[in-house]
Formats: sequence, C-alpha cells, structure tokens
Amino acid sequence: MRNGTTLLLLTAIAVAGAAYLTLGDAGPAPAAAPALASVSDAPSALVIFPVGEKPNPEGVGMKPVAFNHLLHENRVENCESCHHTGDTAACTTCHTLEGRAEGKFVTLAQAMHSPNSARKGQGNTPQSCTSCHAKQLQRPECAGCHSIVKPARSETYCSTCHNVSGLTKGDMVAGIAGSLPDGRNAELAVDTLKTRENPVQLQPADGPYKVFIDEIADQYKASMFAHRRHVASLMERVKDNSLAAAFHNQPTTLCSTCHHYSPLKDTPPKCGSCHSQRINPANPERPQLKAAYHLLCMGCHKGMNVARPLNTSCVTCHKQSEAKPADSAAAKLGGE
Amino acid sequence: MNRRKFLTILGSAGVASALGTAKVAKAAGGTHTWPYYENSYGVLHDTTRCIGCRRCEEGCNKVNNLPGPDKPFDDLSVLDKPRRMTPNAWTVVNKYELDGKPVFRKLQCFHCNDPACASACFAKCFQKQPDGSVTYDGSQCVGCRYCMVACPFYVPSFEYDDAWDPLVQKCTFCEPRLREGKLPGCVEACPMDALTFGRRSDLIKVARARIKANPDKYADYIYGEWDAGGTAWMVLVPAVPAEHSLAETGHEFRALGLDTHLGNRPMGELTAGALGAVPMIVAFWPVLFGGAYAISKRREAMHKAETETIIRDAREDMANVMDAAVRKIAETQGPGVADTARQAMADALRTREETCANRGHHGEDK
Repeated sequence: MRNGTTLLLLTAIAVAGAAYLTLGDAGPAPAAAPALASVSDAPSALVIFPVGEKPNPEGVGMKPVAFNHLLHENRVENCESCHHTGDTAACTTCHTLEGRAEGKFVTLAQAMHSPNSARKGQGNTPQSCTSCHAKQLQRPECAGCHSIVKPARSETYCSTCHNVSGLTKGDMVAGIAGSLPDGRNAELAVDTLKTRENPVQLQPADGPYKVFIDEIADQYKASMFAHRRHVASLMERVKDNSLAAAFHNQPTTLCSTCHHYSPLKDTPPKCGSCHSQRINPANPERPQLKAAYHLLCMGCHKGMNVARPLNTSCVTCHKQSEAKPADSAAAKLGGE
Repeated sequence: MNRRKFLTILGSAGVASALGTAKVAKAAGGTHTWPYYENSYGVLHDTTRCIGCRRCEEGCNKVNNLPGPDKPFDDLSVLDKPRRMTPNAWTVVNKYELDGKPVFRKLQCFHCNDPACASACFAKCFQKQPDGSVTYDGSQCVGCRYCMVACPFYVPSFEYDDAWDPLVQKCTFCEPRLREGKLPGCVEACPMDALTFGRRSDLIKVARARIKANPDKYADYIYGEWDAGGTAWMVLVPAVPAEHSLAETGHEFRALGLDTHLGNRPMGELTAGALGAVPMIVAFWPVLFGGAYAISKRREAMHKAETETIIRDAREDMANVMDAAVRKIAETQGPGVADTARQAMADALRTREETCANRGHHGEDK
C-alpha cells in the first residue's frame, strides 16, 4: 500500500485539497452564502439579548449572541427542532435570565446551554444550542478528534457565539428590556456576521511531510507517520462545515488534538517530552509513551470509523524488526 | 460438684465462647485488613482501551516461564470462544459484545482484599500479602479444590493432568517481580495502557478522574472497588448510551462477564460466623458430654449405695425380729420347736426374696 505511486497520488490530492481550501476560504461569512434560501418569514439574522425583568439601567450582562437564523433553519429538520412548543416565538419570550412561568422557569442560560434535556413523554423534547452542537460532534469527520479531546471552556470558546460587535450601551439596555426595534436588531446581527472572519488554519504544508516515530523502536521498526496526509485528510473533511469553521477559532485548533496540553504553536514539543517510556509514579494517569501513541492513533481511527488498519495488525504501521526472531513469543517485549 | 454447679459453670463458659466467636466473625468481615494493606498495589483494567491483542497473555507466559500456548499469541481466532484460566495460562483475554460493539476484557485473579479462597482453604495455602497480591503456597495443599469452589471469579485452576502432585495454579500478581521493583508481566506488555499499575488508592482516583472527564464513555462504576469486599484489580467498562440501554442497570457489566450479585462484603464473611464456632465445639463438646455422663454415672452409684443400705438395714431388722421370736419360742416350747420355727421362717424369707427378685426382673424386662 505504502508505495511511491500511492504516496504521490495522495500528496497530489492533499495539495489539491489544500489549494482548494485556501482559495475557497476567502469568501464572506456564511450568512451571505447565496445557496441558502429562507423557508420562513423569520429575519435571516438576529441578536439574542440576555433579556431580564430586573431593572438594569447600566446594561450589564453577557455579550449578546449574533444568531444566523437563516443558516440554522436550513440545517435543522424543521422549525420545531428549536421552537419546541410549535409556536415560533422568540426564545426570550418564555426563557429570560430569571425564568418565567411560561417557560416553566427554565432560564435563558439553561435553555441555550443545557447539555441534555430529559426526554418528554409527549411532544417535542427541547434541545439547546449546546446539545445540538454536541450531537454534531458524533459525525465521523468530527468524532475522531472530539472523542479524544473536549474543547476547553475558555473565553475564546464562549466568544465564538457571544460576539456581537458595534453594540452601544443604549442598544444593550433596550435589548435587555426587550424593547430594541427589530430593524436595529437585524442591522447589528448582519453587521456582526458579515464582519466576522474565521482564522485561517495552519495548512498541511506548514507541518512536516513525514514523521518517523522511532523513539521506542525495538521489537518493531520505526513507524512512518504521514503527517501531511493526515492533516490534509482532516481538513478536507471539515472544509464545508460552518460549525467547524466557527469553532476552530485558532490557527492551530486542528493540531491541538494530538499536540495537546502544551501552548498551541506551530512547533509543538515531542510526545516524549511529557510521556515517559516507563510509568511515572508522580503522574500515574499519564499514558506511557507507547500507549500515548496507540491511544491517539487508534482513538481517532475508531472515532472516524477507519476500518483499516486493524488495531491488532501491528506490522501495518511498523514492520517487524529483522534483528529479532520472527516468533513474537520469543521476541523481547518493548522497553524492558 | 453437684449438678447445678456444673451446669452453671458450663453455661458461663458457653456464653464466653459465643462472645469470642462473635468477635471473630466481626473481625473476619468489614475492614479488618485496613490499615494493614493501606499501601497495597492494584491494577486498573480499562476495557475501553483494550484492543484484544493478547500481548498480556504473551507477557504473562514469558515472565512466568509457562509452557507454550496451544495457539500462538498472534492468532486472534481464539477470541471467538470464551475461555477460562488454565494451569498454564494464568490470564486470558475474552471478547464480549456490548451494544453491538466488541469489547475485550482480560481475566485473571482479582486479588481480593479479603480473599474467599483463603477463607475456604483449611491448609492455609493462600495469603493476602501486604503488597496486595494473593499468593498460593502449594507445599501444604491437599488438592481439595475448595478454593476453586469458593472463588467468586472462577480463577484458581487445577492441574488435573498431573497424577502425582497436582497443585492449584493462578495469577500471582507477579509477586516475585514486584519485590524486585518490576511491573507485572502483563502490565508491562500492554501497548495501550489498558492496564495501569499503582497503589490501589491512587487507581481509584485515576478511575474516577477518567469517568469524570468522559462521562459518556465510561459506566459510572469501578468494578472491584467494593465488589466481593473490594479487589486489587479493578475494571472500567464502556457506557451504553441511555437511549440504547433497555436492559436493567448493570447489564453492561454482566455483558462483560462481571457478576453484579457478589455484594460489597468479603465472601469469607458469609461463613466466618459458622466456621468460627468450630473451635468452640471441639473444645466444649467433650466437657459437655463428659460432664453429663459423669453426672448420670454418679447418680447411679449413689442410688445403688442407698439401695444396698436399705436392704442391709431391712435384713438386720428381720434377723433381729426372727432371733427375738425364736428366743421366745425356745423359752415357752423348748429348743426343738425353736429350731424348726427358725428353719421355717428362714425358708419363708428366702422364698419371699426370690419372688421379689423375680418380680423386679420382670419389671425391668417390661
């Protein structure tokens, strides 16, 4: 499989994919994508304010969310997916900061972020932004990384959605009170979505072409890891995914599944910097180096339903050492 | 010593020994092993990581110098059938199906905190060591295989094909290697860190941290933390999504061959009360029955002596009366008549005694 022709072919595909990505990414925000047509008479974009009933003359609150309604209504099954009562009223009609009887005292924050809702016996089970987005992570193209890592709930994570720009104090006060005119609301939302720019991810060519993993080569020879091919393949799969584009909000986000726990940069430390070859009593939870490689490779392949190579087919990734007898029972086990 | 005194002594001795037995039973269960085994070692087996490569079997075979396997270790077709430990394979990997996906689990001795095998063995072959391992010393083994019956995990195996000195074989936790500061053979061979070695107390924290970090991935339970009174080897199993899980709780454990009915108390505790009474019985039954025998014997002797005294007194009385009567007859009617009368009275008495004795004899027969 790993002969020159295949590699050349794959590299060509990767380069083509990368080139396509680079060229295709220059367009404006998805709000302006011409392919989308509204199926309702709802505004194509709107700002969701932290509506509350307590007096708030200073307009203090979480930064509002510029919500691309047009994009989302084309992604979900039907209006009831979000408007769970069947009434297409704004979320903040029933769910406010403090909660209202109409919304069964489910607060706005809960309605938007609850990771899961108890299944309703009758009718539609509500879903939040977060729970629906989390469900998308189970797609094979996402599940490779997302079955291994859980994105840090940092400031950049929140600001992916809580990002409205050009907001004045007057707008905020009016928005919280629920009295901002629809026209101004839509204007703010469209302006925010149009000016939003997703960072350009590091490209496959920015990383090494091949990596030879030979630190613990013993019973088996070094493993040739086609670094560029793997990065290109991952990027290719999510290139049309606007959710991924929005949340992969650092140039190095895609790198951070494998190159984890260290500050993100384009020259990450080696795996062996932290993963010792023998278990470290100070960090019993940290996988040993051999297991660290296997857990990442196999974990991602499992998440993405990559059928081959089999987990137990050792010699597909690293050939048997010639110095050792072919009989594996007699071969020295790694690391002793 | 009379009967009342004896029974009083016996009663107080019985109460004292019953109290002693209760104390033994209390000590045999619960937490009597702590803090003695506070720093004992264990292994956490994370079945979500296990890929069923059989490297652990190979590692075990090698470090313990066991005979070669029936099928080479890279032949994974053996996983198609569930296997058990054998005298020559102290650990085996089995494949199970959970929610339509294959899950692999390594079987070996769980090294219980308070092992059932040790409680069942009357030759004291099994010992829970302070390092956490449960070791077996076959020098006293009589081959009764009670340990195999007692073990809730079906671990000990018997050398049935050895005609002369068959022994029980099971995983040793590589206790000799632990003493040298080395890892158990299987743990060292695992390429996925599906086996994590460490202090049992640390492993519980590690397991909890994994469950917390991935609540959707792991069933929220550490098998072996409490099961069968707690085991040194513990298992994490994959969670089944709530919408797929129609079966009752714990089915993901039963699907992996992990029994969920063992309870959280050591197996030995179930029998410690009854077995603790054995020494008391051995010590006190001879006293009890010996005493009862002595009492009845003594009563018999006393009765006999009493009867004899009465008979003797009666005989003397009778002889005196007879002498008096004979003297009277001799004075009034002459010595010849007196002799005849004495003879007649003696005959009458003898006949009377014989009749009485016969009647008594018949009475006994009845």
